[in-house]
Amino acid sequence: MKKNTFYLIVGCTAIALVGLFWYSDVVRMPLLIEVAFIVAVAIIYLLRRRVTDLKEDERDVKITEQAVLRTMQVFWVVFCAFSIGAVMQLLRAPAFPRGFPPGPPPILPELLSPRLIGFVQLGLLSLMIFLYVGFRIYYAGIYGGWETDEE
Amino acid sequence: MPVFTGAGKPMRNKIKVFRAMHDLTQEHLAQVIGVNRQTILAIEKGKYVPSLDLAFRIARHFGVSIEEIFMYDDEEQAGQVK
Repeated sequence: MKKNTFYLIVGCTAIALVGLFWYSDVVRMPLLIEVAFIVAVAIIYLLRRRVTDLKEDERDVKITEQAVLRTMQVFWVVFCAFSIGAVMQLLRAPAFPRGFPPGPPPILPELLSPRLIGFVQLGLLSLMIFLYVGFRIYYAGIYGGWETDEE
Repeated sequence: MPVFTGAGKPMRNKIKVFRAMHDLTQEHLAQVIGVNRQTILAIEKGKYVPSLDLAFRIARHFGVSIEEIFMYDDEEQAGQVK
């Protein structure tokens, strides 16, 4: 398979995923887009192996490794900071025993609403993508990615 | 610009010289070695230090030892003084 064909398939897959995202929202079935996303990524990984004119040498691997490493180094700190906030919510469990006769269960204050968690996750996902792309550009520059001279 | 290795010593190479001696373009050498042209360019410019495997492949292609192509910066300067 040619490189351009692969990119075309990736583009079509992305458009199909957007459509499925919209459809799963309409029918209120988040599982649909979740499964579709996993299947789409698996297909793309499999197709990528069949591309014949996409050469990835050790320098490309090095750039990818460095970009992934730095992305993870930043991302895990941000992710843990958010997770600590979620753990705080877990710690606000009702105290037992509640006395006798037991009264109504206490209403717990919500630190993070499900809607807010969704927005934060979207932000984290965007952050991860931006970090990775940024570090990739940075390390491609470090390892001579933008040099253009020829004899 | 010399590139710094893990040991902290800058390295240089003579790939460009050997390419000129064998009348090879970066593209041709890259194809023969099995890497991208950008990688050959990055090595020549000293932006990237190749792995031992790639260094061997380059050296064997030119029919010389690794030390004749890749050397520490101070070794090359010492050689020029001699």
